[in-house]
Amino acid sequence: MLPEYAELHCLTNFTFLRGASHPEELVGRAAALGYAALAVTDECSLAGVVRAHIAAKDAGLKLIAGSELLLEDGPKLVLLAQSRAGYGNLAELVTRGRRNAEKGRYRLMRADLDGGLADCLALLVPGAEAPASPAAPHPLLADAHWLAERFSGRAWIAAELLCGPDDRAALARLRALARESGLPLVAAGDVHMHVRLRRRLQDVLTAIRLGRPVRACGHALHPNAERSLRMRVRLAQTYPAELLAETLRVAERCGFSLDALRYEYPEELVPPGETPASHLRKLTEAGLTWRFPGGVPERVRALIEHELALLAELRYEPYFLTVHDIVRFARDRGILCQGRGSAANSAVCYCLGITEVDPARMSMLFERFVSRERDEPPDIDVDFEHQRREEVIQHIYAKYGRDRAALTATVITYRAKSAVRDVGRALGLELPQVDRLASSLAWWDGRKALPDRLREAGFDPASPVIAQLVALVGMLIGFPRHLSQHTGGFVIARDRLSRLVPIENAAMPDRSVIQWDKDDLDALGLLKVDVLALGMLSAIRHALAMVSACRGAPFTIADVPPEDPGVYEMVSRADTVGVFQIESRAQMSMLPRLRPACFFDLVIEVAIVRPGPIQGGMVHPYLRRRQGLEPVTYPSEAVRSVLSRTLGVPIFQEQVMALAVVAAGFTPGEADRLRRAMAAWRRKGGLEPFEQRLKEGMRARGYGEDFADQIYRQILGFGEYGFPESHSASFALLVYVSAWLKRYEPAAFCAALLNSQPMGFYAPAQLVQDARRHHVEVRPVDVTASAWDCSLEPGAPAPALRLGMRMVKGLPQAAAERIVGAREAQPFASVDDLARRAALDRRALKCLAAADALAALAGHRRMAYWHVAGVETAPHLLRDAPFLEAAPALAAPSEGERLVADYGSLGLTLGRHPLALLRPRLARMRLATAAEIQAMPHGRIARAAGIVTGRQRPDTASGVVFVTLEDETGCVNVIVWRSLSSRQRRELLGARLLGVYGTVEREGEVVHLVARRLADHSDLLGRLAARSRDFH
Amino acid sequence: MLTPEPCAIACDGRILACDARTAARGVAPGLALTAACALVPHLAVRPRDPAGETEALLGLAAWATQFTPSVALEFPDARFPHAQLSSTHTLVLEIEASLKLFGGTAPILATARRELAAMGFTARIASAPTAKSAVWLARAGREVALDPARLATGLADLPLRLLDCGADTCAALAAIGASTIGDLLRLPRDGVARRFGRHLLDEIDRALGRLPDPRTFFTPPPRFHARLDLAAEVTQAEMLLFAARRLVVQLAGFLAARSGGVQRLALQLFHRETHATEVAIGLVAPSRDAEHFTRLLRERLDTLGLRAPVRAIALVAENIVPLAGEPLALFGDGGETGGNGGTGDWAKLVERLRARLGAAAVHGVATAAEHRPERATRQVEPVAAERRRLPPRLPSRAAALRSAGTGVRPFWLLAQPRPLEEIGAVPHHGGPLVLLAGPERIESGWWDGGDVARDYFIAETRDHAVVWVFRERRAPGGWFLHGLFA
Repeated sequence: MLPEYAELHCLTNFTFLRGASHPEELVGRAAALGYAALAVTDECSLAGVVRAHIAAKDAGLKLIAGSELLLEDGPKLVLLAQSRAGYGNLAELVTRGRRNAEKGRYRLMRADLDGGLADCLALLVPGAEAPASPAAPHPLLADAHWLAERFSGRAWIAAELLCGPDDRAALARLRALARESGLPLVAAGDVHMHVRLRRRLQDVLTAIRLGRPVRACGHALHPNAERSLRMRVRLAQTYPAELLAETLRVAERCGFSLDALRYEYPEELVPPGETPASHLRKLTEAGLTWRFPGGVPERVRALIEHELALLAELRYEPYFLTVHDIVRFARDRGILCQGRGSAANSAVCYCLGITEVDPARMSMLFERFVSRERDEPPDIDVDFEHQRREEVIQHIYAKYGRDRAALTATVITYRAKSAVRDVGRALGLELPQVDRLASSLAWWDGRKALPDRLREAGFDPASPVIAQLVALVGMLIGFPRHLSQHTGGFVIARDRLSRLVPIENAAMPDRSVIQWDKDDLDALGLLKVDVLALGMLSAIRHALAMVSACRGAPFTIADVPPEDPGVYEMVSRADTVGVFQIESRAQMSMLPRLRPACFFDLVIEVAIVRPGPIQGGMVHPYLRRRQGLEPVTYPSEAVRSVLSRTLGVPIFQEQVMALAVVAAGFTPGEADRLRRAMAAWRRKGGLEPFEQRLKEGMRARGYGEDFADQIYRQILGFGEYGFPESHSASFALLVYVSAWLKRYEPAAFCAALLNSQPMGFYAPAQLVQDARRHHVEVRPVDVTASAWDCSLEPGAPAPALRLGMRMVKGLPQAAAERIVGAREAQPFASVDDLARRAALDRRALKCLAAADALAALAGHRRMAYWHVAGVETAPHLLRDAPFLEAAPALAAPSEGERLVADYGSLGLTLGRHPLALLRPRLARMRLATAAEIQAMPHGRIARAAGIVTGRQRPDTASGVVFVTLEDETGCVNVIVWRSLSSRQRRELLGARLLGVYGTVEREGEVVHLVARRLADHSDLLGRLAARSRDFH
Repeated sequence: MLTPEPCAIACDGRILACDARTAARGVAPGLALTAACALVPHLAVRPRDPAGETEALLGLAAWATQFTPSVALEFPDARFPHAQLSSTHTLVLEIEASLKLFGGTAPILATARRELAAMGFTARIASAPTAKSAVWLARAGREVALDPARLATGLADLPLRLLDCGADTCAALAAIGASTIGDLLRLPRDGVARRFGRHLLDEIDRALGRLPDPRTFFTPPPRFHARLDLAAEVTQAEMLLFAARRLVVQLAGFLAARSGGVQRLALQLFHRETHATEVAIGLVAPSRDAEHFTRLLRERLDTLGLRAPVRAIALVAENIVPLAGEPLALFGDGGETGGNGGTGDWAKLVERLRARLGAAAVHGVATAAEHRPERATRQVEPVAAERRRLPPRLPSRAAALRSAGTGVRPFWLLAQPRPLEEIGAVPHHGGPLVLLAGPERIESGWWDGGDVARDYFIAETRDHAVVWVFRERRAPGGWFLHGLFA
């Protein structure tokens, strides 16, 4: 008869670099072994407890939340939560420990437990200490007394018998300690891994933690694999029965489950005398008047009533009020923002100003995103201008306080590269070897690829060390490594947040993060608001401000004329450099085929060029149906209701879920679980039950096997990368606005993009090239004319773009602002005058000379440098007296030199394109220009060369690399298939000026050059610094 | 460097030098190491060895003294750690006084070139009327012999980066379009001095011979070498020792004059017909104690069978290291019994044991932090300094808690575990064993191919000896005797 057992001391891999198993693995193993309960007791952390909780619910295992703590001036303890209050106390204690130390560490003292932690149980965890002599008292006796005083009636001594040197003697010593202290003994396992097989990985984790090879870790390694979940038959042999029975008594006293956590919304957003519902209605009504000055359409009114009723029923008003408050703050500060996500595109959100997407424009159903059945909070992400998001974050901290608001964590996990690096070092490989191995994995991740990459890097995958490395790396990938801050997910609580989840310090000062990530919050149904940064919003605000200034009247997003045919015409030509979302190579090749003609087409365009639809094989059917090459059919009326807007092809994540409902008979709740499983399957698997259920459901409803298979494949494709319509719609609005700006205000648009760098796919050089191709006059940086930002100057027929001093590499903003200030007082007479009155040091002057920004004062660059070198910058009695010195007659630099210098300082040139200089040579090599390639017929053998301005390797295109070559006439879009890229890796990755021999492929206006051979012509460029944006 | 794979030397993550095969694939000095590895997957990368470079240059300096006693060295400039090796290590030879002896510049250059190539070095050699101009020419790769009349014109088109003026000044000069010495000299002198400092102009003036350019010349490293021709051929070791003693004293004096000591010396015995015999002596610590040297020589000579009569002897000592004054005679006369137990006597005891038994037979023992018992101790060099060392302070309570205590270990561990007979699940060693304590489970060592998985027990034999045995946890299992308790 096997004894019952509850494991009370168990670390998961959220005790970073100690625990060697995932929480789910531990729970699964404990359940399989028939344990009565499992306590997850990560070291001063509750980070792994939600995952364990979810797994335990599935497995039907009782889970206890707890934590192991090593007091700085005291013993090691395990604390277990008995109730919600005890859990809150524990979370607060962990918070205190974490906040008292730098990121990743903690610091707790005996004094922190002086009150005894109410509603928690305590286990004293002895190490290997033994009395000095048989007669002497146990070294832990004082600690045991100390603990007994504070945890009277709820403290134990953990007996951890792990096949040490002499367990029998150790147990006898512990019995004596128990007798003398009055604390009972209880069995525990100091579990670090779910099965013995993790021993090697556990050793490697120790080595990584200590920063030495395993062989040099000595006694820091565990002597054996006993710190795993042991079979009960072995426990029965190891422990006296009463110690095992005691584990059950401890477990019984822990009645807390994470299900008891309830989220409580902040209250202060509701003014006195109002309820959340009445206040939300007031705000919505006010918004209706603002949005519909000419009267509220009947349809919108009905929508509002419907939504408010649903929100009231689910009591989600405080959530909408919270988001509204944040958005209103941003609006008051003039920070552009835009909501998106499941609930953002509701009519209520439109009235609250959370989104600009007019519900009249869309036909989405609010219910689809906020459902009655799913008892979970709605999800609204709000994008803010990336340059000003910090103001919003600090507002949230200021408004709610650090006790109540904190950022969500992002669990940084091991990827192939980091795992190879750490395991390699732990196995004692030489640093250059490890780096070589790791860097050869930099761009081409993935487990399957590992043996090949090893061979390529000169390692034999069959050698024992390498075989070991591969096995360990395979296990380590996906292990949490540390907690980082989520890009902007905020959790805001009514009272102390630290009673809900521990808060720790983030790497950034002034930031704090909770120990749970968004999946954890999601699983427990806790509210979060995503405060995200979006570069395009900064660019749009800059552009709108410039347009307003030019027109002499405020011009906002709402003033952008809707559905302008000129915009769609430009977009259909794929003339979209700089336009939000649709500027990538993949998007650009889709545009001429899709030919968007209305707003909803943009929504589709945003969603369709994603790995989900592409891997699900939806793109081509959609295009063919749109072009009328294939009839639009539906397997049933029910399916038609879901897919009619997208011609019978599922494109949005919502549609896939709706299909599961109408075609396979899922309830909306089940469909939502499917969505979660989809998001996680690549990491965790576990879609098989859904597959079976889905296919059976469809069969039962009379759908064919093919259709069922296709839907399932699509679900898999969507899993990781599915893009919901709700996000697409918000993005599409920004697509439209940015495309409109590009079409009608190209100078302002380009200036705004330059002022918002870094962002987007293109470097300043390409943005400026593009603007000039659209007849924008671009004027150089000039200390007598430029501001810090790029700006507009009067010009004919259209405003001209003046490059700002922000383009000058190395020039501080403060220096530029002093220049502008001094210039307004009086124009500069000379470089010396400039240096003196703008208080510029030599470094700043050199930067300006390098940018050729002193031309108006000094002449060409060499003269500028000569003057700059002669400026006396040190305080000097006669400093204000002009220097009388003959200037030498320096020869002007050559065009090539100017070009190199332009690129070096500004990253772009306003002179001739570098390839224009090389054209005679290139022509002799019979290399065609981009314009010539563009005009060639399909199938023509051609060769071209250009500066590599981008290399993209979409996840969707199995191993294909897209290379963009730029020359003086435009761009050549090159496709490099995998077979060639592996053969000519060096040319592909190394060349700045790349020659491509290949075949022209033309589909309508989309022209590609499919490479057959690559040639590195970088030597022709000399020192020319071309920058490429690699691998988005 | 000859390796089967393409190879390169790296420093701070950048390529410093590479062989021709590597260069052919696009790698050049200055390239990031990761980039190089991406280009050449099997690249064998060696870290830079500054000590080796210095040693090589010193060796070459000694070689160069055959041409002139005035040899100066220029080492890599710490400001430019990634500069190419060939442009940083420089030897400057003042050969004017040697021209007559060698018959002009050309023969010297030819000899130097030939011998350097024979030694496997790549060198760029130039000669010019001033040291600085010759260095610049060589660094610029102009392997010319410049005569005084053409000095100024010969330097005019040299790039300014050859001057050690710092990257900033170089860049500033390039920015105004001055890239050669000639360009610089064409600029207004005052203006240049005000902008870039006098140093630059002074350097050029030194190269042009307008300013003196004094240098510190290389002195060959100290080395003791003394030879003694014996009056008659000697066949007995004892007689040799008597003769050697004279050289030992000479050595001690030589060392004392330099406040130095040696850790290694060699007595060479020259025979009439066969080649010389070398008796090498190694010490535990550097010394210059003549008595000590003599004693060690005696031990060695006693055990050495002379192959042939000895006609001459020589004593050679290199690598002289600084050694503070040592009270030579105070304890040195303590005699062979080593009465006072000081560390010096202990060191001498070890040396004498080693001289008699061979170095490999005498070693120290240290504990090693290892779970596997057979690796928990390791052989170490006998250390004379301290025989017993206490930890500097007791480990903190927290550390003590974390480090698991190791169990009782037997004094005598068998070199190889010995299989035990197992009868009815009970291990036997001259009768059934009674297990007193255990199991202590040890599972460790997978990383070096020596993984063990054993359950250890302390057991008692029938005749009440206490032994340490284990049960192998892996198939085919079985019991083993591993140690004996005292």
